[in-house]
This record gives sequence, structure tokens and C-alpha cells, in this order.
Amino acid sequence: MCPAPAMVRPAIWLVLSAPPSLTSLAPRAIVAHADLLSFSPPHNVTSATTWTLPVRRAAGTVLKSQQIGIIAVLIALGVALTFAAGSHVDVLSGARTNNFLNVYTLVQMGTDASSFAIMGVGATIVIIAGGIDLSVGAIYALAGVGMAMVLRMVGPMGPVATVSVGLATCLGIALVCGLANGFMVIGLGVHPFIVTLGTMWVLRGIAFVVSHAESVLVPSALTSVAKARLGLSADLYPVPVLVMLLVAAIGQVYLSRTVSGRYVFAIGGNPEASRYSGLRVDRIKLGVYAISGLSAGIAAFLGASFYGSATSSDANGYELYVIAAAVVGGASLIGGKGSAISATLGAILIVMIRQAIRTLHLDQNYEWIIIGSALILAVVLDQGGTRLLARRMAAAPPPPVRDTSTSASEVP
Amino acid sequence: MAAVSFSHITKRFPGAIALSNVSFEVRAGSCHAVCGENGAGKSTLGKILAGLQKPDDGEILLDGRPVRFDDPRDALAAGVAMVHQELAFCENMTVGENLCLGQLPRRFGFVQRDMVRRRAVELLAAIGASIDPARSMGTLTVAEQQLVQIAGAVGAAAKVIVFDEPTSSLGRDDAERLFSLIGQLQARGVTIIYVSHRMMEIHRLCDEITVLRDGQHVATRPAGELDEAALIQLMIGRRIEQYFPTYVGEEHGEERLRVEGLACLSSFADVSFTLHSGEVLGLAGLIGAGRSEIARSIFGLEPATRGLVWVGGTRAEIRSARDAVRLHIGFVPEDRKKQGLVLSMRTGENSTLPTLPLFARFGWIDKAKEISVIRHLFERLRMRAAPDAVTGGLSGGNQQKIVMAKWLAADCDILILDEPTRGVDVGAKAELHAWIDELASHGCAVLLISSELPELINLSTRILVLRNGRMVREVSRADATQDGLLRLMTGLEPATTN
Repeated sequence: MCPAPAMVRPAIWLVLSAPPSLTSLAPRAIVAHADLLSFSPPHNVTSATTWTLPVRRAAGTVLKSQQIGIIAVLIALGVALTFAAGSHVDVLSGARTNNFLNVYTLVQMGTDASSFAIMGVGATIVIIAGGIDLSVGAIYALAGVGMAMVLRMVGPMGPVATVSVGLATCLGIALVCGLANGFMVIGLGVHPFIVTLGTMWVLRGIAFVVSHAESVLVPSALTSVAKARLGLSADLYPVPVLVMLLVAAIGQVYLSRTVSGRYVFAIGGNPEASRYSGLRVDRIKLGVYAISGLSAGIAAFLGASFYGSATSSDANGYELYVIAAAVVGGASLIGGKGSAISATLGAILIVMIRQAIRTLHLDQNYEWIIIGSALILAVVLDQGGTRLLARRMAAAPPPPVRDTSTSASEVP
Repeated sequence: MAAVSFSHITKRFPGAIALSNVSFEVRAGSCHAVCGENGAGKSTLGKILAGLQKPDDGEILLDGRPVRFDDPRDALAAGVAMVHQELAFCENMTVGENLCLGQLPRRFGFVQRDMVRRRAVELLAAIGASIDPARSMGTLTVAEQQLVQIAGAVGAAAKVIVFDEPTSSLGRDDAERLFSLIGQLQARGVTIIYVSHRMMEIHRLCDEITVLRDGQHVATRPAGELDEAALIQLMIGRRIEQYFPTYVGEEHGEERLRVEGLACLSSFADVSFTLHSGEVLGLAGLIGAGRSEIARSIFGLEPATRGLVWVGGTRAEIRSARDAVRLHIGFVPEDRKKQGLVLSMRTGENSTLPTLPLFARFGWIDKAKEISVIRHLFERLRMRAAPDAVTGGLSGGNQQKIVMAKWLAADCDILILDEPTRGVDVGAKAELHAWIDELASHGCAVLLISSELPELINLSTRILVLRNGRMVREVSRADATQDGLLRLMTGLEPATTN
């Protein structure tokens, strides 16, 4: 039943009539009226208590962050491997070295993970927007082959020019491929799974035809960039790992701090409501496929430069590892959920599981079985954790709200 | 002898009570009307009887025996079938397959097509329908789809058939055919429960009438005892005193929105009106009268096929929601979960979705500015949820406030509200009403769509009544009564041109 509205109304009016006019709702005006907020005693109390406990708040942020689960798994697996791997005597230095926890293995793992992780960030953005991109492996191959062939055609140049032309070609090809995916997804009304499955074969086919299935060497200028030691000892190549971290950081900032990143979450969560809010859903979709293509281009540039050649069979089957990395990182295939850092961690986890098989001298034939099982397990655990968190949040008491109605309605 | 008795049926939905302690009996072999306003709980009652929803409390007795249905198959096995308002079919399958679904004749796991066909022809012939069983369900007209549903119900030897607003999408001829079929079914001893709010049909078909209002049972009487006026009186009750409008919009502020001859395919035509600053213009009509379609068309979601629109005195071509937002038009859609909110996002993020560029520089969100705006909005709307709460977990009232917040942040000149208080608890409803008043008193032009007549009458400066996609009449605030509006909406009172 309705409570007596006469009681409710004055209370509402007290609240409503506080700011001078409704026009103050314009964002700029609100900032100007921000001092009004300080009139509320309960509000001040809550902010004071939170500020006095910065440590607790920071701890809460870490515990509540999306990455906590996967970080825990990575650490647990790392510790277990360190103990189980055993050690050997290093030939050069004569010191005992752990078979897993040594700088060479770790950097090697990082290098292996870098291509999955870089493309995984792109894939995560597509998946958050409610799409899927199966063509990243093929884009990688075409961009790599295209770059190598263009550089071979152009002929010898200075190292800076070679790297610039190479990078521009590689990223350009990848961007065009990504845009092509995007235009087809929004223009043809075909499910992105089908569109990118198609382009996956088409693009790899183009790479195959133009390169005559040959391996094309890339100039050494590129290799010296990708294998730059940056002051580290011989046989340590940190560039792929650094690029991976950089891409993860850029992806994370893009998703959390930019307008278009926010829109990606919105159209993935509810395209209809996004349209009703005046968002240009198609343009955002186009953008995410372009980003995904571009991420494949970055990975291709690094990969072809690092290994010194490109062929049409490069990155064959990587698309599935990439999607697995995104999903292990907590991205939801129905859209609206995911994180760039988590996808990077997901890629590292997958590579670490592969590494575990080698370090522990398990039968390599079981690699697929183990990775497949781990993928399913990771997602099940993630979903269980999400449900648990949701239940805990539902059980928690509602946040304090300044409720002027109770005090006001008592005034006759 | 009662074929069906409802005993203390209660059904709660999150944030609203659909049915509260409803008890009445349906005589065997009768045609029993269940009527009430939109949202009175009629359809829910039908769905509970047909096993589509479970009551939270109370029980149903069939021929005196208590029954409990977990799904429509249980209900059908007990002899209860429902002909749906939103037709539920596998549209990709054939008529025959749909009719035999659930017990497809098969041998070694293979469907026996000739058996399906024979059985479907039999079932359809039993109600005098001739539809080719091989046709795909999606290609049938609504009337034909209804016939298939009825054939299925009769074929399953249903003793009770629930019709839920069966004529809402039928033409006159098809409706006539349906009425005679209902007569035939009744003659065979089938008990009919006829859910509708159309006076003419109820009086023509039904022997007894049950009236529901706000989920409560109001009366069950023989049809002869209730004339139209008495029935309307029972349906609307006396609820006007619940609302105390504080602000009555001026009719002649400056012109904000003008539409002329607006039309969109088959949903509405010839819609013309002017909306002024500070005014609340109500749109009244039954479901399907074209109210929401007009709103969506003005907001650029389903652009009109004909007609002209002026915003603030200038011709406007609104081809997308983005165009509308840029013209400072806001829209609170009728389905907040599907159209209004991204449930997976946080409440704060939802509330700034249409206005995000205002808090950004070069595409970079100024978080501090955004948070201060969100804080301010939440305090003004007295939100009882944190800005970082996930929107999907909120109550209906709080979710609706978030949808409102989106457009408050946008500082709209024109705000279109489609059922802004549907499924919202009473407290939040009062707050939302106060907001609508507040908005109008500060010069916002409001177009209000509501199925709740008291809400519409008390908030609106003027009310446009629509029926079947046409404007029927404009009623001024002073002349608006629930009785009068309902008569215009249902067609009891003929249209007049102003």
C-alpha cells in the first residue's frame, strides 16, 4: 500500500530544493556547487573513516581486484615448479641453479607468452565488446610476410629507415585486416565468429599465395631491435617481455580510463541500452576489430624480427591460445567483462603450464590434454569465485546513505 | 460445480506484488472473463493456471482437486491449456511439428513425417481450420497461429482453455471467427477463461466476470449484473487521492517539440502535437495503441516513415538516438533492463553513459569530475546504492533512478518517459513523481507515457488519447477522468477531432 504521500513529499522537497535550480545539473555547474556536498554530516563521517584507514582500503582493493585469483594460481604454480624442478650446476659460473626459477627460463617464458599476451589484449577488447576474433593468427602471418616482402622489395636502407618502414608496413597491413573484419561484422550482419573464421582462412591463404609458401628473411636491423639486450647479459632478450607489459598497460588504461574503453564495456554488456543512450554502436565495434588487428600486427613485428624470418604458417593456431588467454583472464564470451592485465596473466599462465610439462619432464604428448583441462578448470574456478563474490556483496549491509527523509518527515 | 477454483493465490515479482491473495471460482462450462487495467495481474493469473509461473502462495483446485503445475506440460496433462498473448512457438518449425511437439511420432528415433502430417490435419480439422501442416510457423498470420494453438489445446483434450488478450492483434473478421470458435468450444463443454479489458468482447462472450485491480480480487459477478459503467468503476476503483501533484505545468511556455503528421509503417499514423517548456504531456492508450512507438520514433530509434519534427522551433531530422541526445532529448524507455541499463556495469558508469564526453578531454575520462557528478546525482535522487555497485543487483526502484540519472546528467530540454514507474515500489514511485514535477517546473518539456491512469491524470498538463495508432482526442487536465480516458482508450466512446 501507499504510505501517505503528504509525509513523503515535504521530505523530497527538502532534498530537491537544496540546489538553486535544476539547471545546476549541468556537469560544469555541479562542480561549482560541489561545496553543497559538505553540508551533509553523515557523508563527512564516512569519508573520514575511509581516509583514516588507507592501508585497509589498499588491501581491500587488491583483494577485490579481478586479478587476485589468477595471480594466486601463478604464484602457487611457480612455487610448486621451483620445488619440483630440481637444480643443476651451471657450466659457466659453477653455481647451483634451479631448473625453473632462473632468469633464462623466466625470460624465455615471457618471450613465449608475449605474442599470445599482446594479441590477447586485443582479443579481450573484442570479447568485452561482445565479439570474437578468430583471425588474429592469420593477420599475424600476413602482416609478417607482407612486411618481410616489402622490405626485400625496397632493398637495403639505413637501420632506422628499415625499422620504420617495416613497422609501418606490418601495422598498416594488420590494421587494414582488422578494419576489414569490423566492416564485415557491422555491414553484413553475420556473426563475428563466422566472419573472422572466414577471414582467418582468407588472410592466411593470401599470405601463402604471395609468399609462395617460402620463408622470407627480414633485415638484421629489425632483429637487432627485437633482440636488443638493453644492458642485460648475453642470451637475455627482454624486448618482447617489455612490449608485452607495455601493451598490457596501454590496454588496461584504454579500458578503464578512456571514453571509448567505457563504451566497449557498454556495447558488450547491452548493445540495445547503449543505442538508447546515443552511443554509435557500429563505430565502436569497428574500432575493437581494428584494435585486435593492430595487436596482431605488433605481435607479428616482434615475432618476425625476433626470429629473423616470416612465413605464411607463422602463428598457426594462435587464435585459440589467444582466446584462451583472454578467457582464463576472466573475459566473458557473452561480453561486458574482461581485463587487459588479466588476459596477459592468462597468457603467462598458459605458457607456464607448457613450461611445467617440460621442466618436470612429463610426456610432451600430454600437453594438449593438460592445457585443455586447465582451461576449463580455470574458467569454472573463475565463475565460482564471481558467484561467491556476488553473494558476499549481496549479504553485505547497504552503504550508508544520507537519509534526510526520516529526520525531515518527523518535522510536522 | 467449479471447474477451476483459485484459492488465496499470491505472486510476487522483485519489487512488485502481481497477485495478492486472489480467490474465486470458475463454473464448469462457463466463459469467465478476467478483467482489469494494464498491470492488474490478469495475465499473471492465466500464466499461473497454465503452469508458466508458479504461485508463491495459495493453490489451484481443478474439479475440486488441488493441483500443482511445474510447467505447461503438467498443466496440459491435467487438461489446462493457454492461448498466449505473445505467441510462443518454434517459428522455424512447421505447423505440424509444432502441433506434435512433445510427442513427435517416431520410430527408432526418426520422426515419422506422414504421421505428423496426419495428426496435424486431424487436430486442425477438429476446430474447422484448414492450414497446411507443412507451412513454416513463422509464415502464418497471427490469427492462423492462434488457430494452431487452439487446435493443439483441443487436441490435448483440454477441459479449460485460457485466452490471454486474444484479439489484441486480430482484425475484425478474424476476431469474429475466433468468437464463434469460442462459442463452439463452450458448446462442447470446454471451460473458457477469457483475459481481456475490452468491454464489448467481455459482454458478448462471457457469463461471469472477475475484476482484478492492483493484484487484488475486487469482484466476481454474473455478466448481466455489471453494465459497462459499473465494470469500469470496479476496474479503476478510487485511487486518485493517492497523488498530490504539486506543480501543474504551464501550457504555453515556449515551444520545445512539435510533430506534424508523424507516421511509422503500421504502428501509428497522423500524429501531431506540440510540447511546450514546463509542460507534461501525457500519452494514454492501451498496449499496442502506438504510444511507445511514437516515443521511439521521436528519439530516432525507429525513425518515422512520414511526418515532420521541430525541436525548439527548428526543423530536426532525428535519424538515431545520438541525434536525439545531441538535441538535448532524453528517453527513459519502458524496459529498463533491456533498453535502459547495462546491467553488467556499475551504477555510476550507467548514469554517465550518455554524457561521458562531457567529463572527458581528448577521449580521456576525468575521473574526479565524473565521480563528483555521480555523487551529486545520487544524492539528488536519494540513491540507496553505491556508485560502484553492479547495476544488475539493484531493486527495480533504484534501477529506474539510475535510468533517470542518465538524463538528469544530460540536462535535457525534452524528456520522454515511457512507463517510468512500472515495477517500482511505492516509495520510489513517489520520488519519481516528485522528480517529474520538479523537472517540468524548471522548464523541461516532458512527454509522459503511462498505463497507470491516476499517474497520468495527476502529472499531466494535457493528455493525448491514442487508439490503434491514431490520436483519438486531447483531454485537458481539468476534464480528465479515469472513466472518460478508459472509454476513449477502449473505443467505448467514439473518436472526435479537435
